[in-house]
Amino acid sequence: MGPSGGPMNQRPPMNQQRPLQQHPGMGRPPGPGPRPPVSGPGAPTSQPQQQQQQFQQHGGVPSQSPQRPPPMNSAPGATMPMVRPVSNLQQQPSDVGQPGHDQAPLNQARPPPPGQQASGMGQPHGQVAWGAPPGSAPSSGNAQNQRSRPPSLVMQQQPLHPPSHQTPSQPPVQPAMQPAMQPPMQPPMQPPMQSQTPAQQPQQPQHPPSIGQDPNFAPMAGTPIPTGQATGGHKPKRVYPSAGVNAAQDSPPYGPMSGHPGGEVGGGFQSVGAPGMPQPPQPQYGASAMAAASPSYGTPVPTHNPTFQQGHGQGQIPQQPNAHQMTNQMGSMSLQQQQQQQPGYGFSNNAGPSLTTVALTGTRPHIQDLEAPPPAIRLTSAASVTQSPYANCDPSYKRSTLNAIPATQELLKKSRLPLGLVITPYRSVKEGDEPVPVVSDSIMARCRRCRTYINPYVKFVEGGQRWKCNMCFTLNEVPSSFDYDPHTQQPVDRWQRLELNYAVVEYIAPTEYMVRPPQPPVYLFLIDVSYQAIQCGMVATAAAAILESLDHIPNEEGRTKVGVIAVDSAIHFFNLNTVSGEPEMLVVSDLEEPFLPQPLDMLCNLTDCRDNLSSLLDRLHNMFKDTHNVGSALGPALLSAYKLISPIGGKILCLQSSLPNLGPGVVKMREDPKLLGTSKESTLLEPASSFYKTFSIDCMKSQVCVDMFLFGAQYSDVATMNCLPKYTGGNTFFYPSFNAARPEDAEKLRHELREILSQEIALEAVMRVRVSKGLRMSAFYGNFFVRSTDLLSLPNVPRDQSYSIELGFEDLLTVQTVCFQTALLHTSSSGERRVRVLTMALPVTNSLADLYMSADQVAIATLLANKAVERTHMSAAASGATPNLPISDNLKLIPLLTLGMLKHLAFRASSQIPSDMRSFALHLLSTLPSQCLIPYIHPQFYSLHNMPENCGTVDVNTGKVQMPQAMNLSSENLARGGLFMIDNSQAIWLWVGRDVVPQLCWDLFGEESYQNIRGGKTMLPVLENDFNQRINLIIRHTQNMRRQPYYESVYVVKEDGDQLLRMQFLSHLIEDRAEPILSYHQYLAHLKDRVNHGSF
Amino acid sequence: MSMEAMVFLFGVIVGAGLLFVKVFFVILISDLEVDYINPIEMCNKLNQLVLPEMFVHALLSFIYLISGQWIATAWNLPLVAYNANKIMTGKHMYDATEIFRTLGQHKKECFIKLGFYLLSFFYYLYR
Repeated sequence: MGPSGGPMNQRPPMNQQRPLQQHPGMGRPPGPGPRPPVSGPGAPTSQPQQQQQQFQQHGGVPSQSPQRPPPMNSAPGATMPMVRPVSNLQQQPSDVGQPGHDQAPLNQARPPPPGQQASGMGQPHGQVAWGAPPGSAPSSGNAQNQRSRPPSLVMQQQPLHPPSHQTPSQPPVQPAMQPAMQPPMQPPMQPPMQSQTPAQQPQQPQHPPSIGQDPNFAPMAGTPIPTGQATGGHKPKRVYPSAGVNAAQDSPPYGPMSGHPGGEVGGGFQSVGAPGMPQPPQPQYGASAMAAASPSYGTPVPTHNPTFQQGHGQGQIPQQPNAHQMTNQMGSMSLQQQQQQQPGYGFSNNAGPSLTTVALTGTRPHIQDLEAPPPAIRLTSAASVTQSPYANCDPSYKRSTLNAIPATQELLKKSRLPLGLVITPYRSVKEGDEPVPVVSDSIMARCRRCRTYINPYVKFVEGGQRWKCNMCFTLNEVPSSFDYDPHTQQPVDRWQRLELNYAVVEYIAPTEYMVRPPQPPVYLFLIDVSYQAIQCGMVATAAAAILESLDHIPNEEGRTKVGVIAVDSAIHFFNLNTVSGEPEMLVVSDLEEPFLPQPLDMLCNLTDCRDNLSSLLDRLHNMFKDTHNVGSALGPALLSAYKLISPIGGKILCLQSSLPNLGPGVVKMREDPKLLGTSKESTLLEPASSFYKTFSIDCMKSQVCVDMFLFGAQYSDVATMNCLPKYTGGNTFFYPSFNAARPEDAEKLRHELREILSQEIALEAVMRVRVSKGLRMSAFYGNFFVRSTDLLSLPNVPRDQSYSIELGFEDLLTVQTVCFQTALLHTSSSGERRVRVLTMALPVTNSLADLYMSADQVAIATLLANKAVERTHMSAAASGATPNLPISDNLKLIPLLTLGMLKHLAFRASSQIPSDMRSFALHLLSTLPSQCLIPYIHPQFYSLHNMPENCGTVDVNTGKVQMPQAMNLSSENLARGGLFMIDNSQAIWLWVGRDVVPQLCWDLFGEESYQNIRGGKTMLPVLENDFNQRINLIIRHTQNMRRQPYYESVYVVKEDGDQLLRMQFLSHLIEDRAEPILSYHQYLAHLKDRVNHGSF
Repeated sequence: MSMEAMVFLFGVIVGAGLLFVKVFFVILISDLEVDYINPIEMCNKLNQLVLPEMFVHALLSFIYLISGQWIATAWNLPLVAYNANKIMTGKHMYDATEIFRTLGQHKKECFIKLGFYLLSFFYYLYR
């Protein structure tokens, strides 16, 4: 008997409380009208779309990514209607000072924003041929910069440029390489790319490597790459050489390595290249220069952090360029030329990079580019009414697969690229990120026809009296408060308005956007207390974690409500609202028609019942610790929880550790190893019971969201259970063979529960996407319910969940700029109704070259992953939808990413993968934001034993943790005496080679020798030595650096240890051949064949 | 009145009923497309009618069979088989969560069935 003082097993007469179940809310659901619950009946116009709304946070400072250019100086005399420090970010003085804001000459050419200009000019257009001798290699810094610069349109004209127009830093090219590399990868449909005329090539070598450009790169002549291990004046620090075959002999295994060429690793970033590590030559790729070049694979990414290079006074190693050597030069052009020479593009460009192609075969994929920003959006300077650098959406909120939209469907088809958006509207704002600016004066200017929110891309006409909607071209009145503040009776500057300067803004929504008062956050815990749950320690750990998180649950207004239900073969309610201060347990064992014993007391205010709740959570495990009940009535418990919570809406957190076996919603053990790896496997990935789908629709109607935490000793049918989060905007967490006795398991649960409970979620939300005339949304992917062709319903919007939308054509695009606007009407955790509006404008193009140049490989991979997940559910085969053989520079990683998907846990054909793991991987693929999805497909691979000494420390200048250089995912990079780390954003794998030096074992694991190290999931001990602390810092940083609620467990894999772990680790090395899927180079050859035979 | 006339009179009445049901389907589907109805409600309404429609159609075919109307039976048989197959594979109901993904197929199917019932109706009427 549990310690709770209340009457146990108190069972009210069967029908006692029935009337209470007829909540007024139950009848409320979407109602017969076309407008579902969220729509405001009193909305100002009769347009169907008026549901979108807004909200926001007070005192917000515009949130933007760190890559943004620095704010410009504010105009000295500019008046700011709002208190926010936004004025700094506003237009340049020349704009502010325009006479008469109501007369503003909107379309006049304004100076392009500094960011655009800066990035467009003076950059070398470095394409380099692979295999170039090191001496002639350009710095890879230039190659990197190239990516962040707005690509220019055309490359056809390039040969026309007289050499005098080239920037002096033009990197050289190996002319001889070009013919060799080019032909195989030229897809026939891309005539523009042929523009590499010989005429251009001779001029290239005249330009020395970009020495003058970047002082960090020393002249390279005569510097053989491997000797780049700088011998700076550093005092030698401990470095772990790989005790590989060679290294072990000619140097002591551990200690100052001054005698060894690889010893001074501290000089740079060449983690991979330390000669101490055997670097097998790569005979199959021919060129002898390759072997020499390969050490530079860990090129740092100077684009992101220039201080990397200078900040530490390390000897500069001129080796980076090699990483990018194998590219082909397409030439470059100056700004002026470009504008003159391309009349036909429908829009003018501010900067002029050109389409560059790279040869895929014969090179290693240049993985550092995975973190490069997407191709720049090349809008005309007149596209936006203000010159704010924030006028277009930050890629972390919204990115498009193509940053230039094809004008016709035919062009899109020809390019074979997918067109879609990847949206993360409610991403978390971590320290250092700027919050979303909030329009707090509740002036919402919207198009009266299509209900688009006013945004930086509208046009003001008729002397600024009206604005022309950029979606449907309707003329609308400009609200008078844009120019005049009735409260202070002062004129205000409309160009300072946040919605005309920021692509991401939040509005506080007026009452028209509510159908009821904003709901308080409600958290109802549905905890499995059956025998399995108690045995694995889930109940105790979860209760402790919830208790710990109680103070972090958003509860600013003191309105948050909490409830607890325990379930085994009966449903145990807890009355937390007792006077005595002791929680009361009420048990209902009628599973056919479960009722709520005391519906008013089951959910109680978190502030009021805090003590009751703590004492309940403290005792929960003890109450049931002797249970032998193996029943689990999840279905009836969910129905009861729904009854309890549906009048308000909220979140049900369902912690389930056994298969539901009583009442409705029974799920049977259906895993059949014989089906795995066959075409029938897809049936295992389908929900087994329709109960959960139906129930999720009910939940959605009542604004109830369900989060599933699944703890399965064996099979927990993730596919079926995932239905609930999938349609209610929830999240699924999966803990295969959870055992709370292992601290790493318990920590994962604790971390994830804490994340979920402490994040500020959005409630009762709808999301509408509007696109310019001529385009339409054709499919939606993610966790939500589609309520209309352009309206998504999300009872809860968790932080950092990503949604993908595929776009199609309805008509030709005749405009020069298209616009995508996402509006998320939600109730914030603090009880404010808000609309978050994300606007993105993209140029329209008629050129195939532009299309390729503007393609965003990360977004494409994200969209493809979502489509592949969809297809897995529809049919049997795994998908490998490769859109094309990409050759353009910014698409060069697409083959690698698609290969990563083909080899991913979710898609690879194998009979070894339990369907639970697959289902969970599918769930992750369809919800993770790009930031986490890309490492999930293509993990980060680091070599830790020989990392430079500054890795794993905090950079004094940037305050960031220095990470080692990521390496290519190939087992060639593994060494027998090394320590390696793979981070796939969901788990961290540490590989310990069998010849690892004992000192490393001692420093890192506190073990005497390799034999004593324990493999498997673990937590690294924290020891008092430099190496251990650096590794721990790297791991902690890896666990925290991404925006996601999931906790990355650490697995230690010994080279000769557990076979299963080894296989799991090795399966991440996607460039290797893994039966039956090809290696990277085989895959490229395969793609090439298919392109050449036109079978795409 | 002969047996044959009775059977076809029944067929005309049932055929008209089916025709109306199908028109109702088409109307609701178009309503959904222009957002006059939400998918949950639409699916609830349509799902009530799916099985009765299939049952009535199967019954009619059966009556033709036992009354020896071979041509009418042969005309209806493929649809009966198609419906039966859908029920067996559990795909006959409208699923609100997937409706926008499958709307095109549903619409196509509805129009084909509508045409089929229309032809049937005139055949029963004028033969």
